[in-house]
Amino acid sequence: MAALLVELGVALVALALAGIAANRLSLSVIPAYILVGILVGPNPPTEVAGLSLQIVGYGEFVELAAELGIVVLLFFLGLEFSVGQLLDDRRRIASAGAVDFLLNFGIGVAIGLAFGRTPLETLLLAGIVYISSSAIVTKTLIEQGWIANPEADPVLGTLVFEDILIAVYLAVVAALVTGTGGLSGAVVDVGVAFAFLGGLALVAWYATRFVESTFDLPSDELFLLSVLGTATLIAGVALSIGVSEAVAAFFVGTAFSQTSHTERIEHVIAPARDLFAAFFFFSIGLQTDVTLLAGVAGLLAVAVVATTVTKLTSGAISGRIYGLSPTRSLRTGLALLSRGEFSLIIAALVVSAAGSGNDALADFAPVVTAFAVGYVLVMSVLGTVLVQYADVITGRLVPLLDR
Amino acid sequence: MTIYEAEVPGVGHKFELELDGDERLVVIIHHDGKRDVYRRPDPDADSERLFSLSDKQARQFGSILEGAHFQPVDLDEVEVPLGDSLIEWYDIDESAPIVGETLAESNLREEIGVSVVAIQRGEATIANPEATETVRAGDTLVVLGTREEQHEFEEQLDA
Repeated sequence: MAALLVELGVALVALALAGIAANRLSLSVIPAYILVGILVGPNPPTEVAGLSLQIVGYGEFVELAAELGIVVLLFFLGLEFSVGQLLDDRRRIASAGAVDFLLNFGIGVAIGLAFGRTPLETLLLAGIVYISSSAIVTKTLIEQGWIANPEADPVLGTLVFEDILIAVYLAVVAALVTGTGGLSGAVVDVGVAFAFLGGLALVAWYATRFVESTFDLPSDELFLLSVLGTATLIAGVALSIGVSEAVAAFFVGTAFSQTSHTERIEHVIAPARDLFAAFFFFSIGLQTDVTLLAGVAGLLAVAVVATTVTKLTSGAISGRIYGLSPTRSLRTGLALLSRGEFSLIIAALVVSAAGSGNDALADFAPVVTAFAVGYVLVMSVLGTVLVQYADVITGRLVPLLDR
Repeated sequence: MTIYEAEVPGVGHKFELELDGDERLVVIIHHDGKRDVYRRPDPDADSERLFSLSDKQARQFGSILEGAHFQPVDLDEVEVPLGDSLIEWYDIDESAPIVGETLAESNLREEIGVSVVAIQRGEATIANPEATETVRAGDTLVVLGTREEQHEFEEQLDA
């Protein structure tokens, strides 16, 4: 027990130090947490100046904490999902979201096929490069002060669209990767997933009053336990019948989103989310074998360049759909550039499917982890850095667009 | 003045207040209670951050802006803006001698010096009532006068 406690202590302290360093550099904490995981984990680098760096193993505790991280991240996504905003602005959100999806998911499919990946692997790669990081994007908006500008509308609208799409995507992909194989099997698996999640969505929609009164608890402690318990239990039940736990947690979150509990959840449960999400990024780092990056270097380089161009383009078009000036339209693309938690959740899904006996993915899982980690590290840093030079970039590019 | 409100997922709420012309004040209320206040001079300009406040600071600042924040002072030191006069409200019950008289008949201004500036009757308020208006039981009279005159009027009502 003593050794495990020390291991956990090392992990938490290392995460804290990395987070502080990232804050100093005005970067997102996500790449910092991953790097810490790579550094202290079992994979290379394994030592520095004769000192072992294999301090923290990928044990059951980290695995479970990381899984909880996925559940709470998606729970909060559901909680903050605004049906009202979606309905009020549905035409512009649908147009901007469709452009974003077609260009970025499309380029992912093209890259996957060009590199000779199987259809399932291509689907996974496309998902990883498509979806922007809600966490990094909203942080960027606040730090740049763009949140008070008109460009916040297409950015947030695109995120809302991506939220729905990732829910559907994860439901399909989770069913496919854990599935029994074969086309008819896949159809059944996806059918089961949609039946379960559809039922959950309906309950979430109609249970507002029930949720309102059931969770009206006097103490924050009991509130925390009840909400976290409910989300975890439903996610666990979903996973045990082969349905995406992440999407189940998303719908549990939406059940709370129409109640008066949202503010309290933001106060009481957000710290738990931050803790477990840190474990999730850390565990991704632990499982990353950086030596595998060499094997995906070509794929990575092509993906970084191509998806940077498509995300900037789709963002700029979305800005135009919202009637913004060229400068603001370009900012929309810049703000959405960062990829993060969702790309990694997709990779984690593949790893756990391979771990639970899907042999078709056994070889692909380490590759996809290395790719997703490399991609997220580059895109999250690139995204935050480019945004800081937004004025220079828009100054150069806008004259080209204006002609 | 129009105020726009929007939810900002993962952040909190955004409010935009229209000021003069195209100028807008943008307030972001974070989930942790922090407020960021921005000013946007016109639709094409970038918003500039004016200041940030914690939840508690924002509430105190808000009450100052609202004019609700004040330090209580002794009554003797209150300077009534109407010179020496005060405005008081009196509920008229059936036993008051004034019931049934018109304002002219009651002759309040000559005898005591107070003026009835309004009569509240049920939901309605009769502002600046005519001299021919009759006082009824259940009315509330809004009366202007000095402290002594108010006192004298109150005694007359109780008589």
